[in-house]
Amino acid sequence: MLLTLVLVGALAVGLGTWAGVRAVRDTPVVGNQIPGMIAVEVGLVVQAVVVAVGLGRGASAGDPALLWGYLITELLLLPAAFAWAFVERTRWSSVVLAVASAVVVVLQVRIWQIWQGAG
Amino acid sequence: MSTQHHHEPGDDRPRAYGAGRALVAVYGILALAATARSAYQLLTKAAEAPLAYGLSAFAALVYVVATVALAHNGVRMRRVAWVAVAVELVGVLAVGTWSFVHPQDFPEATVWSHFGQGYGYVPLVLPFLGLAWLRRSDPARIARQ
Repeated sequence: MLLTLVLVGALAVGLGTWAGVRAVRDTPVVGNQIPGMIAVEVGLVVQAVVVAVGLGRGASAGDPALLWGYLITELLLLPAAFAWAFVERTRWSSVVLAVASAVVVVLQVRIWQIWQGAG
Repeated sequence: MSTQHHHEPGDDRPRAYGAGRALVAVYGILALAATARSAYQLLTKAAEAPLAYGLSAFAALVYVVATVALAHNGVRMRRVAWVAVAVELVGVLAVGTWSFVHPQDFPEATVWSHFGQGYGYVPLVLPFLGLAWLRRSDPARIARQ
């Protein structure tokens, strides 16, 4: 679980940094970043499966409702940023992608806390 | 892209979109987070701190209204946005202060308690950004420039 969390979190940090640099350079999200978004998104799906399997095997976590709330929210963020990038062809799509990636990273930390039994 | 906004040569007025749309994205995420959290808190443990969780739900509603109004950006919706963002500023300052004076009223973090500490102080910064954006993008103000 920790491995999945850290790997996906690291990918999200990379994607967010890339988007941040593009925002500073006044450039919008580009097609090259799509594989990055897909990589993070696939990682998040894998992570949700790992959580489901872990809980199915009787792993104890904090509140499962909270855990699933975070996992589902995480899955929605990058598709939203992706759609945004089509509409907004300015640097601000890069800002949106950077923010979405940062939220994914924060949620990864929260998920780890809940997984360990915290509220 | 069909939605690109071309500037006339020599027109150096700020763009109407862009920064505002990024702000809408941040508002949207916060609205989602606040709505989900307050719904969860009210459904599972409303009795523990009805006041704090009720305020949390109210805050969530204000963020939803602000997100929709900022995204719509019409004449009337901009007025709604001004009100929503102002309510937000007053809310985060009032509830933030209150939660430091009477921490026992806020057993668990809500959007506005401790000035939005649980959300990286984003709820404290956001209304200032919102007001600055609404002022900067005011059509009457841009027309005067």
